[in-house]
Amino acid sequence: MLEHLGEKLILTVSVGGFSFSFDVITIGMSWVVIAILVGIAFILRRGLRQGIEEKPSRTQALIDSVVELLQGQLTANFASEKLARELFSFVSTIFLFVLFSNWLSVIPYCSSPTQDLNVTMSLALLVFFVSQVFAVRMKGGMRYLKGFIEPYPFLLPLNIISEVAKPVSHAFRLFGNVFGGMILITVVTAKFAPVVVPAALNAFYGLFIGAIQAFVFAILAVAYINVAVET
Amino acid sequence: MEEAQSIVGQINGADIVAAAKYIAAGFVMAIGSIGSALGEGNVAAHALDGMARQPEIEGALMRTMVLGQAITESTGIYSLVVAIVLLFVV
Repeated sequence: MLEHLGEKLILTVSVGGFSFSFDVITIGMSWVVIAILVGIAFILRRGLRQGIEEKPSRTQALIDSVVELLQGQLTANFASEKLARELFSFVSTIFLFVLFSNWLSVIPYCSSPTQDLNVTMSLALLVFFVSQVFAVRMKGGMRYLKGFIEPYPFLLPLNIISEVAKPVSHAFRLFGNVFGGMILITVVTAKFAPVVVPAALNAFYGLFIGAIQAFVFAILAVAYINVAVET
Repeated sequence: MEEAQSIVGQINGADIVAAAKYIAAGFVMAIGSIGSALGEGNVAAHALDGMARQPEIEGALMRTMVLGQAITESTGIYSLVVAIVLLFVV
């Protein structure tokens, strides 16, 4: 069982001289997460009404409380009201995707897509490009470029490295946590205790650490965008 | 004595590399986790200090504490990644 730990199911397709490799399990599991999220959205959508009601339905109350929680915990940290309004859906989408990806590993025969570095790295790069684009939009091109030679011009390499290090550490943090938990569960299940103990470990690493890491990932996305826009 | 010599004769370069790999991975995790453990404990201790002094800002302190711990944890995660690379890739 342990021999299969690092193995991947790779599908290679060559089109016109180029060969593309796809990790079938990661892509499939990502689509499972997307299907779950879209399915929940479609099911919950039926109970919603526009406008203010005297007595909101149960689904309405549930969704209201979830949105309020996300607004209060995540987007309240943004520098300006306008930025929070524009990026609320982006940050909460990332949060929900990472949360359900981490929780997916609890289900048997499923693995969470975030235990692949490619997935976390692409999410982190997405946050990185959004932060740079918003920095240029909010500050203007000249002030954005000037930010790299502050406080002194000879610190330019250090400023560039600190910008590049952000998505790298962002991606490795989520990947390391999820992958480390997966390895621990696999090793304990295969070598020490095949019953009862894996369930507790799954609850701890899959549900608890997964939720905390999803929250941390989203709140760090907010912090990185904030830093890029402000300074 | 003869037995020991025959074992020494069987050890080749790949065995030494494998042994070094496991020892290095153990050292990476042992030393690398000290810093992040101390740092995270420090963050939690000071957050508790603040909460005891001003219980009304507990929510904001909790959020900042989790964020600070997540950033402090990254050095520990780097050592975990290095250990995983040593064990499974090298």
